Order: sequence, then structure tokens, then C-alpha cells
Amino acid sequence: MSDEGTRREKLTVKAINPVDGKSYEVALSHSRIKETAKRGMGAILEASRLVEYVIQNPTAIFEGIRRDADDPNYGASWRCYCGLPTCAFNASGKEVNPPAGMVFLVFVNDEMVVYNWRWDKADADTPRYPHNYKDRFRERVL
Amino acid sequence: MNSPPLTEFARAFLAIAGEPLPFKPHSVHDRDGDCIEFFTKPDPFYGERVDDLVTVYLSQETDQIVGALLKGVKRFCEKTLEKYPGFGIEIQDGKVGLACLFRAKAWASPKTTDKMLVFTYRKLIEAAEAAEAEMELCEAGA
Repeated sequence: MSDEGTRREKLTVKAINPVDGKSYEVALSHSRIKETAKRGMGAILEASRLVEYVIQNPTAIFEGIRRDADDPNYGASWRCYCGLPTCAFNASGKEVNPPAGMVFLVFVNDEMVVYNWRWDKADADTPRYPHNYKDRFRERVL
Repeated sequence: MNSPPLTEFARAFLAIAGEPLPFKPHSVHDRDGDCIEFFTKPDPFYGERVDDLVTVYLSQETDQIVGALLKGVKRFCEKTLEKYPGFGIEIQDGKVGLACLFRAKAWASPKTTDKMLVFTYRKLIEAAEAAEAEMELCEAGA
């Protein structure tokens, strides 16, 4: 199967829609899922358990990821889900406590494809949100 | 510590990901997010934004650089080629080295007096050169 082929194949999962609070479907490409195996069992478990948890139990959802000052519309319809999972996984896949002072972020593009996820520093004043959230995102929608 | 349940999604994810592979430094071009991820170590990490192109991945245990995310790469390459047509020299068979991308971004940065920025880019360039990491640039019109 080519990379393009596995990119078209998708695994769907329910997420909270900030528009109405109901569930809607987002997807992960098979190629993206297979890539996690290159980083070991910890990365596989982190993605398989924490991504779904955060998009269904977010502490906040942001829209309009600001990346480039000279293009204010870039990424305007993209979403970032933020959450506080109750566990994390070390490199070998052992369940451990979540890293202190961190939130878990899941990024969804305008085609409802989950394309990235990671731990990120929490905001000092609002630890349920990511560091510097006021400057990083156009608006908080949940 | 209380891990999220093993859901249908998690089971499907594990089946698609397959067995974890022995770690080797590698890069991943994710077209759904127009981004490249670059990994030098398998450590669990957190992200820290460096600038509009680069988010560095830092080990949760050591705070050392273990990878990076380059966002909006296609646009960055298009803009760089517009401004500096000679950048095309670095592109061979539609591919460009990640070290070259980091260097191009660092040279264009107005913050060369920022010691942390300089240190971060030096580390990223070293790591990308050591791993001989590169990406395909065909879609950037190279």
C-alpha cells in the first residue's frame, strides 16, 4: 500500500463538537497511525488512549491557530483540543503519572482529520489551558 | 493514576499500528497537517514553540531536544524560493535536507541575538545532519 493509499484510509472516532456540544466524527489516517510504531510502544499507547480521551473530555477547544503573523487567516478553521489525561506512558509503554504542569493537545484540520497530538506546557495562570493560549489561538470555542 | 478505558477505537488503533519498531532517527511528512515531524530519540516529549515554523520537542525527563515539528513547510519553501531563488540549489530530485530548512529559517530570523533561539537551531541542524533527514518538496513547486 502506498503512503497516499494509507493516508486515504481512515480510522474514525467521536469528538465533542464545540458548536452544539454533541458528538461528531473526526478521523486519523492509517499512515499516521502506522508512523507511531516507529517511536515505540509508549507512543502507540499514548496516541491510542489519550487522543480519544481528550477530544471527548476537553478542558478547552480553541480555533484559529496563529502561526504566521503576515497571514491572519492561516489555519483559521483548525481546532486544537486541550485536555488533562489522568495518566501518561513512558517510552517502553509503562503507565505513569501525567507529567506535571502539562496539558495534552490534539490538533484537527478543516477536513476533520486529527493530524497531531502531544503534551505541551500548561498556562501558568490557567493550568487547564496551554501555555500562552491567548496569543496562540484566535479564540476559545469551549 | 487511572488510564482511559480500552475502547473500540483504541483496539483498532493498536491493530493498525502493529508491533513497535526498533527506534531509529526519522522524519514524517504529514500532508494532512502540512507538517514534518523529526525524531532523534524515543523519549516521551512535550512541545515548545520556537517560531512560526518550528516547535521543538523536548524530553519530559531531561528537557533535551528529541525532535521537532515544522509547520507550514510548503508555504515556507514557496516563500523562501520567491525571496531567494538560489535556495533551489539545495533541492535535489525534489528533496531537501531538514538541516537546510532549519538553516534557511535561522538565517531569516530577526532574533539572532536570542541565545536560546541560536542554541536551539544549532542543535536542530546538528541532529538533522546526523540523521541525514530530508523531505520531499514536489508540492512546493521545486
